[in-house]
Amino acid sequence: MGLVAEVDAELKDKGFVTARLDDLMNWARTGSMWPVTFGLACCAIEMMQAGASRYDLDRFGVVFRPSPRQSDVMIVAGTLTNKMAAPLRKVYDQMSDPKWVISMGSCANGGGYYHYSYSVVRGCDRIVPVDIYIPGCPPSAEALIYGILQLQNKIRRTSTIAR
Amino acid sequence: MSESATESPPPPSRLEALAAKVEAACAERVKRVASIAGELTYEVAAADLLAVCRQLRDDPALAFDMLADVSGIDYLTYGMDEWNTRTATSSGFSRGVTGRGDAAPSMPTRRFAVAYHLLSMVHNTRVRLRVHCEGVEPPMVDSVVDVWPGANWFEREAFDLFGILFSGHPDLRRILTDYGFIGHPFRKDFPLIGHVEVRYDPDKQRVVYEPVSIEPRIQVPRVIRDDHRYEPALNGRATGLPGQKNV
Repeated sequence: MGLVAEVDAELKDKGFVTARLDDLMNWARTGSMWPVTFGLACCAIEMMQAGASRYDLDRFGVVFRPSPRQSDVMIVAGTLTNKMAAPLRKVYDQMSDPKWVISMGSCANGGGYYHYSYSVVRGCDRIVPVDIYIPGCPPSAEALIYGILQLQNKIRRTSTIAR
Repeated sequence: MSESATESPPPPSRLEALAAKVEAACAERVKRVASIAGELTYEVAAADLLAVCRQLRDDPALAFDMLADVSGIDYLTYGMDEWNTRTATSSGFSRGVTGRGDAAPSMPTRRFAVAYHLLSMVHNTRVRLRVHCEGVEPPMVDSVVDVWPGANWFEREAFDLFGILFSGHPDLRRILTDYGFIGHPFRKDFPLIGHVEVRYDPDKQRVVYEPVSIEPRIQVPRVIRDDHRYEPALNGRATGLPGQKNV
C-alpha cells in the first residue's frame, strides 16, 4: 500500500493520522531541498543539466531559488577563488537555518586542478562547513543527483526533537 | 621565434601584398619579425607606437579598425625550460619537481613587451605588433585607448597581470585579481602559489588572509614523444607498413 493510500485509509477510519514529529520534519526537509543558484565554473553547467528536463531535479523537490533567504542547500559548483570567498560566505550566512552545503567537483573539494594556484581556495570547506563532497571534474549530472540523495539520507538520520 | 627577419616558408601572395602595404605606409618605423603559420608580425619601437597605430587604422588601404587583443609578454626566462623536456616527460603527470625558484638567471635589458593583435574587418586581414617596453621597473608603454577604445580593459589586464604601465590610460587599475592583491601574477618571477591564502575565521566571523601554507612545486606534463606501438616484438608481427617508425 502506498503512503498516500495509507494516509487516506487512516483518515477515513479515524479522521486523523499520527506521525513522529521528527519524521514529519525530515520528510518535509528532504522533500523540498531548495538550493541557492550559485554556479562558479564548468560544474555549474553540469548542475544545469541535472536541473533540466532530462534528469529533472524537480522530481526530488529540488527547485533552484534566486535568493539565499529562500534556500536550504548551497551547491558550491566550481572553482572557488580568493576573490569569491567572501561573497560565498556572505551568501551562506544569508541562508536561513537549517542549511546544508554540497561541495561539487574537485575544485570545490580541495582546489583540484588549481590546488597550487595563487588565486584559488584549496577547498570550499575552508570557507563554509560542507555536508557532502561529490568527486569528479566535473561530476556528471547523475553524480550530483546521487550526492543530493546522499544528503537526503543524511538529513533523515538527524533528529531535531528527540535527542 | 628568432629575432632576425626571414622569409616565411610558403609565401602566400596575399600575405606579401599586405606586408608590402604595411611597409609602404609605415616605412622605417616597423621591422618585420620572422613568423610561422603565415602570420604577419612587426616590431615597433615604443616611441613610434601611437603613430604606427594611427597609420594602420586610418590608412584606407590598411584600415585596421579593430583591436582584437592586447597581451603582455615577460621575457625573463625566455628560452629556458622549467624541467628537462627530453628525459622527464615520458614518465608521467603530477610528479612534482623543484622549479628554478626565484633566482632569476640574468635580468634581460628588454624584459617586458606588449603584443597588439589587429584586425581589418574591411579587408579581412590581420597583423600583429610587438613593442618592447621602455624601462624595466616599471615597464612603460603608451596607451592606445585613444586609437582603439576597446584597448581599455585589455591594457588594464596587462597592467594587472604583468605590471606594465600604459601612459595615457584613463583608468589604469586592476581588473582580474583579488581586491588588495599585491604583485603581478603572470610575471615569471611570481611564485605560482602566491603569497596569501584565505580561510573563514569563526571568531572574527569573516574571511581572513594568511601567509600561504603549501610548498611550491612544478607539475610535469606527460608528453609522449616515442611510443612502442609499432615495435615488432610487441605487436607480434613483422612491420614494413609505410609510416611506421623503427624505435
